[in-house]
Amino acid sequence: MLNLKQLFFFLVFFAASSLFAQDCQLKVSGIIYDIKSQLAIADANVYSHERRQGTISNSEGFFEINNLCAGELHLLISHIGCSPRSVFIHLTADTNLVIWLDHSNEVLNEVAVSVGRQSQALEPQKTLKAESIRENAASDLATVLKDLNGVASIGNGAKISKPMVQGLFGNRLSLVNNGVVHSGQQWGNDHAPEIDPLMAGSLSVLKGSAAIEYMGSSLGSVILVEPRTMPTDPHVHGAAQYLFESNGRGQVVNAQIEQKAAGLSWRFAGSLKKNGDQKTATYYLRNTGREEANAVLQLEKRYAKKWQSKLYYSLNSSKLGLLRGSQIGNLSDLQLALEQAEPFFTEDDFSYRIASPRQEVQHHLLKVSQLYSLDKNRGFEFNYAWQLNSRQEFDLRRADRGDFPALSLSENSHFWELKYHSQSAKGWHWQSGLQYNLRDNYNVPETGILPLVPDYINREWGTYFRANKQWQSWAIDFGARADYILQNVAAISITVPREVLRYRNEFLNPKASFALSYQFSKNLKTNLNLGYSQRNPAINELYSNGLHQGVSGIEEGDPNLREEHSFKSSIDLSYQPNEHWNFEALAFIQPITNFIYLQPQDELRLTIRGAFPVFKYEQRNALLRGLELQANFDPTGPLRVDANFSYLRGDNREEEIPLVFMPANRIFAALNYQLPSWGAWEKLELQVSNRFVFEQKHLLASQDFVAPPPSYNLVGLKASAERQIANNRWHFFVKADNLFNVAYREYLNRQRYFAEDLGINISIGLGLKF
Amino acid sequence: MKTTFKLFAAMFAFTALVACSEDEPETPVIPNEEELITTLKWQLVSQDEQDTLNFLFRDLDGDGGNAPLVETSDLKPNTSYNARVSLQNELENPVEDITLEVAAEAEDHQFFYESSVSGLSLSYADSDLNGKPVGILSTITTTDESSGNLTITLLHLPNKFANGVEAGDRTAAGGETDISVSFTVNVKP
Repeated sequence: MLNLKQLFFFLVFFAASSLFAQDCQLKVSGIIYDIKSQLAIADANVYSHERRQGTISNSEGFFEINNLCAGELHLLISHIGCSPRSVFIHLTADTNLVIWLDHSNEVLNEVAVSVGRQSQALEPQKTLKAESIRENAASDLATVLKDLNGVASIGNGAKISKPMVQGLFGNRLSLVNNGVVHSGQQWGNDHAPEIDPLMAGSLSVLKGSAAIEYMGSSLGSVILVEPRTMPTDPHVHGAAQYLFESNGRGQVVNAQIEQKAAGLSWRFAGSLKKNGDQKTATYYLRNTGREEANAVLQLEKRYAKKWQSKLYYSLNSSKLGLLRGSQIGNLSDLQLALEQAEPFFTEDDFSYRIASPRQEVQHHLLKVSQLYSLDKNRGFEFNYAWQLNSRQEFDLRRADRGDFPALSLSENSHFWELKYHSQSAKGWHWQSGLQYNLRDNYNVPETGILPLVPDYINREWGTYFRANKQWQSWAIDFGARADYILQNVAAISITVPREVLRYRNEFLNPKASFALSYQFSKNLKTNLNLGYSQRNPAINELYSNGLHQGVSGIEEGDPNLREEHSFKSSIDLSYQPNEHWNFEALAFIQPITNFIYLQPQDELRLTIRGAFPVFKYEQRNALLRGLELQANFDPTGPLRVDANFSYLRGDNREEEIPLVFMPANRIFAALNYQLPSWGAWEKLELQVSNRFVFEQKHLLASQDFVAPPPSYNLVGLKASAERQIANNRWHFFVKADNLFNVAYREYLNRQRYFAEDLGINISIGLGLKF
Repeated sequence: MKTTFKLFAAMFAFTALVACSEDEPETPVIPNEEELITTLKWQLVSQDEQDTLNFLFRDLDGDGGNAPLVETSDLKPNTSYNARVSLQNELENPVEDITLEVAAEAEDHQFFYESSVSGLSLSYADSDLNGKPVGILSTITTTDESSGNLTITLLHLPNKFANGVEAGDRTAAGGETDISVSFTVNVKP
């Protein structure tokens, strides 16, 4: 029931709007700019849903729509080569808009991470936006990110991989999902991060020197998974997508709906993915299917102007098959597998069946935030996040034990954070915070096998500050943080009789960063980044003990390991001689003392399953260095060319030998061609891309069971188009990966011991925005 | 401003409180490693039942650092033996006979015997429901004096229909090794 007061407002509002409605004399005008070049965009399309009428911006980027009625107005602004932007306004008077379009719709440089964060991106940063994520809808997070220069993926199979940035991954690379450091079993090379890239609004890679704001064990780089910004439109809008891929006969459905209703913005998104056995150039990879379900709920409410509450919940649930022929028991099994032209158990027929060996993983993330603005320039933020990661891995076992996981881990983590930010009158921007994280890792006792990593409780207290300022051509950004870590471990001895061994460790990790940017001229800019960080040894490095089936080696932790220290320096230069050309270069050097790695020992240990090589976690001084180059050519006209190259080298400086698991150098180039609109078909675009990956030659023969695979070249092709049907925008694309069905193996994919990598894959996608 | 600050302070105080509430992980459950194989026994009885030879491989700590105990015996020339292999988990009390599990899943298991001892020949003396050998029981025949190594391998889930597998060649079998034990074998009078 409406009370009298509400009724009164309702009537007044109604009267007012109908009054204006009769008027219909309002005007909306605006200027459209390119976010990157900051130049005005001519010939952009501005379309109003309500009026079913459009206009085109003039040479100054200016547009105007007249004779509009008061009330709601949806505008769709599009331009060749840009992702279209929807703008919603509640029109009450003549309105003037400034609209920024993003012309480089794939890779963006140095765009602030999200509105409100206000951080000036002094560190080298690359961002993938929702559009390009969607065209890789069936891929896992690491594969999607691989399109960015300096990013590689390491894993076991095509869809079980983790991202690697400038040679670091796992324990040394933080994944920040919605402001919270992703907490799972990150130590395992075959443990993919439990994040669906489709649920993200953008994926960014920060290749700076130190990720000061985030807790966690990063030695520099950070991957940010940011949700979409919340809707401001009072109507229910949404998007849906379907994708089919030929390789693995995979299907993806994905949908989201959102609305801002009565002050509460909400969004619900979900996706389902399924594929069966994937195929190399010539044969099926048995048991490489996947089933995955994801859901996200996002709520945001603002009260009394100063208060804002946010809630984010996501669930990722997946079942992942591992290549049947890759389960081995000892070195002679591996030797026999290496000699096979096709892996053992390869079958002629395709199947969706996922049997053992397989992984079943669930990840929950719940985050609640409370924001309070003291005034325009200052505010507090309180965050609490809970994560539950449960991982079960099933092997082929005797006597029906295959129904019980061989590894069953449950990790609960709770994170609290209080942050303060302020912007002074002199232009200083200040951020500081207090953080606490508790991680409780538990081996579910159902396996009948000694756990690989022990039970532990890891507690972490942290504090940081960060300040930045820009004046004239200079910008500066610096910060520091300290984390105190307390580990309580309860391990089971590997000696008999079995007993419980308890350990208690304390660590204090400092981090500091400094960045300086100088704009020489309108065309030339440089950033210098320096960062120091310290990482304490992770639980698996300290206490893992036993046979690692996958690599046929006995791995021994060392409880006496000390902290790693990293000092990373990077310098990058970007140069735009004119509006058609863009060049970027980045060089970095990162010495790491006490770098923890698995060192093969001179011992072959005799067990009942044969003799196994023994690897022990040891520490040496290491050095990473790399170079990344990028060029973009955008002549006036339908053509655009992007190219990049990355070079990386890692060495153990004490023994003067290469570091293992370093990505091979690679070159990527893409040629985009815009076709003119054809009837109702708009934004017709063709893309040819080429990725060349060099052979990893910087490795000794004694460092691997088999020499790294030779170089390979993959060609991709993509065609996409959009079409407006009634009020809905449809997006279509066809894409071919590995177009020439090349047989190849990738050094960082462990499956290469057993099988080739994926052959041709044709995807067809259909998307709808409403 | 003050109230807000108090509110946030309270939130953090709550955090601190929670932060100090729990100390050590609970005592982990020591798993019942019933699948573990600690011991392989290989017993050879000469066909005239005059001689019984015992071979033993025992490694109680599994993948741990203590060396296994290995015992061998000498075979006689020009003799035939009936051989029987048995597997045990001696960490269990009472000792668990893993051979029974293997026999129950005979179609999914096969023992392979590879020897570098010249003149020593081996043939399977048992079969599964598909008529394929299992290798728990076998027959061994020696000829002249000689010596070398003999490796007993147990494969889990081999392809028993693959080329040569029936005859004892594991090359095409695939599968995962559950057991791989080598003995020094002397054939002497």
